[in-house]
Amino acid sequence: MSKIGRWVLALLCVAGAKTIAAAQDTPPRAQIKLAFIEIENDPRYEPIRAYERIVLKTRAHPFTGAEIGLDDAAALARVLPAEFSLERISVKSSADAAPAVSAALEAGTHFFLIDAPAEAFEPLAAALHGRDALAFNVSEPDDALRRDLCAPEFVHVFPSRAQLMDGLAQFAVSRKWRDLLVFAGPSPADATITAAFTHSAQKFGARIAAEAHFKPGTDPREREQNDPALLSAGRDFDAVFVADDAFDFARTMPYRLARPRPVIGSIDLEPVAWHWTWEHNGAPQVNSRFEKKSGGRHMEGPDWAAWVAVKMIVQSALRTGSADFAKQRGFIFGPGTFDGDKGLALSVRAWDHQLRQAILLAAPYEVVADAPIEGFLHRTNQLDTLGDDAPESPCHLDK
Amino acid sequence: MRACAFAVAFLTALACAQVQAKDTGLIFVSNEKTNNITVIDPKTYKLIDDIKVPRRPRDMHFSADHTKLYVACGDDDVIAILDVATRKVVGELNTGPSPEAFAIDEKRRRIYVSDEEGSSLAIIDMDRDALVQEVPTGAEPEGVLVSDDGKIVYVTSEAGDLVHAIDADTGKIVRDVVVGLRPRRFAATPDGKELWVTAEMSGEVDIVNRDRFVVTGSIAFLPPGMRRADVTPVGLTMTADGKTAYVTLGHAAHVAVVDVPSRNVLGYILVGKRSWGITLSRDEKTLYVANGLGDDVTVIDTKSRKAGISVPVGRVPYGVVVDE
Repeated sequence: MSKIGRWVLALLCVAGAKTIAAAQDTPPRAQIKLAFIEIENDPRYEPIRAYERIVLKTRAHPFTGAEIGLDDAAALARVLPAEFSLERISVKSSADAAPAVSAALEAGTHFFLIDAPAEAFEPLAAALHGRDALAFNVSEPDDALRRDLCAPEFVHVFPSRAQLMDGLAQFAVSRKWRDLLVFAGPSPADATITAAFTHSAQKFGARIAAEAHFKPGTDPREREQNDPALLSAGRDFDAVFVADDAFDFARTMPYRLARPRPVIGSIDLEPVAWHWTWEHNGAPQVNSRFEKKSGGRHMEGPDWAAWVAVKMIVQSALRTGSADFAKQRGFIFGPGTFDGDKGLALSVRAWDHQLRQAILLAAPYEVVADAPIEGFLHRTNQLDTLGDDAPESPCHLDK
Repeated sequence: MRACAFAVAFLTALACAQVQAKDTGLIFVSNEKTNNITVIDPKTYKLIDDIKVPRRPRDMHFSADHTKLYVACGDDDVIAILDVATRKVVGELNTGPSPEAFAIDEKRRRIYVSDEEGSSLAIIDMDRDALVQEVPTGAEPEGVLVSDDGKIVYVTSEAGDLVHAIDADTGKIVRDVVVGLRPRRFAATPDGKELWVTAEMSGEVDIVNRDRFVVTGSIAFLPPGMRRADVTPVGLTMTADGKTAYVTLGHAAHVAVVDVPSRNVLGYILVGKRSWGITLSRDEKTLYVANGLGDDVTVIDTKSRKAGISVPVGRVPYGVVVDE
């Protein structure tokens, strides 16, 4: 069987149980179809457990975020030029994402919300290349997708890692935490996070006094690597940045350092796209609608991104008065500004299609600050102090 | 005997209070986070009372005779009724979830209240404390305004970027108009021709022609030294002659003064952060502005367009009204 054939088969198996928005009896209005693509067993959503199998963090696909976006659009029905439908497509693996999107595209869907890890994006870019489609990345911060893959059909609604780390570095500098220790974990993800933060620290003038590699465990022979106090001993510092995707070492760090200093990064003060305690810009109402719809779950970054992606698509129809894909696309990449309930208006960067947005610096029960932090200025838009600005980006979709 | 003396004292106090109640000039400020109404003396600007109310008091309106003050309390889903003379809560009206802003139609004895969490406009019979009807609106409804003849109720949907026109008799939405991003509150020109709507995220006031129900213009703001993104207009009020409008600009910490006929911005007055609630005194010489992120109220002299003093109130002040 050809590769394509297998993909189609895989899709049919997946789609079998789901309701593909079928043509109903002569719809009176234009239809705009949205599809939400997610990967079953996406490791990014596995619960994080403590050693004793206690669940520390539960994580969920952000489909509910897209749903509240659609609910919000229902109230606009009388003034919208089209009706919206949202289909949830779960595929078995990242490799199945592109064929699923291709099939939905053939069936008339132009807007996709992509909830998939970085590895899924290259095949997606190939499948969508030159087609009338927009794929909204709602959960993957990988900078390489913006810099190297650099595909015109993507809209990165979820903040890039560069945006997140720039927000954190701005905060550290604004607090005059200029001498930082960096603790890097053993995984490739930890290395990526560390590199991003190091770059951000340099960009905003914080000093990395030392970088140490931790190795989780209790082996006394490796205590120099597994004991937060020993790792942080010997020199003074203002804060420790920890990159720990697995979270098992980061959670042992607060209160166990050689000096009483804050921990930032993977615990205690995290840069996020959204937080359930954010109480400005209409956020409490969105959080409340989300919690109601999800059965009590707190709204997180990917949920916010899925909500905003739907909102952008709906706004593009509302403001152009049209269900014409080219017009909608033109609005999203052109004059479109969007209200994401975190202050400064959102818009899409022409060069890499990253959404400009504020980054929240969140402690467990409080958003301590929102970046751009006051005082970090930019010649055109303060939001461009976060992440790759046009001159730094290797991606030039606008040229 | 003792009880009797008390009763006499009470009645005397009540009688005196009632005499004072008219045109006291007292300034009432609702504080969202401290669940109270702060009362300010208009001459000394001293706090003279602190009235405990249900949780999260927001929009406030007097009854036409100023004997009662109605206060929407968002976290307890009621409109509290204060007796203005005694300054005590004397009753409550049940609303939908999270009431924010409202308008009173005294002739029909109705209150129209936006239920922020319920995405609806609740129509309440003031005398029976009964929710007569719930009209579904766009998400996060806020500003409410009733036409002078009581026939049309206007409501904004913050998250829907809409202004709805609702037929007061049928409770049906009869018209919608798409305005700028995050529309918040209204003012109506006295000639009945225009609705002015603040669009918080667009940083503008949109002008809606009430006949045709379309946006016919908008006014952008940019106080000197401020950034466009900080301009987040929310509250607005207009002089009785319909010549001048005052618009609070939220995070831009200014009030804009607008010449209504020409729609030109005449100037900006510095106030506190997240300035939302705004009220003119009846003689239109004084403007009161609630600074939500400053926990105070700024008093402005409209003639010189200068802010005088700022009076500390409770936490997160929302609205200001004056008993006169």
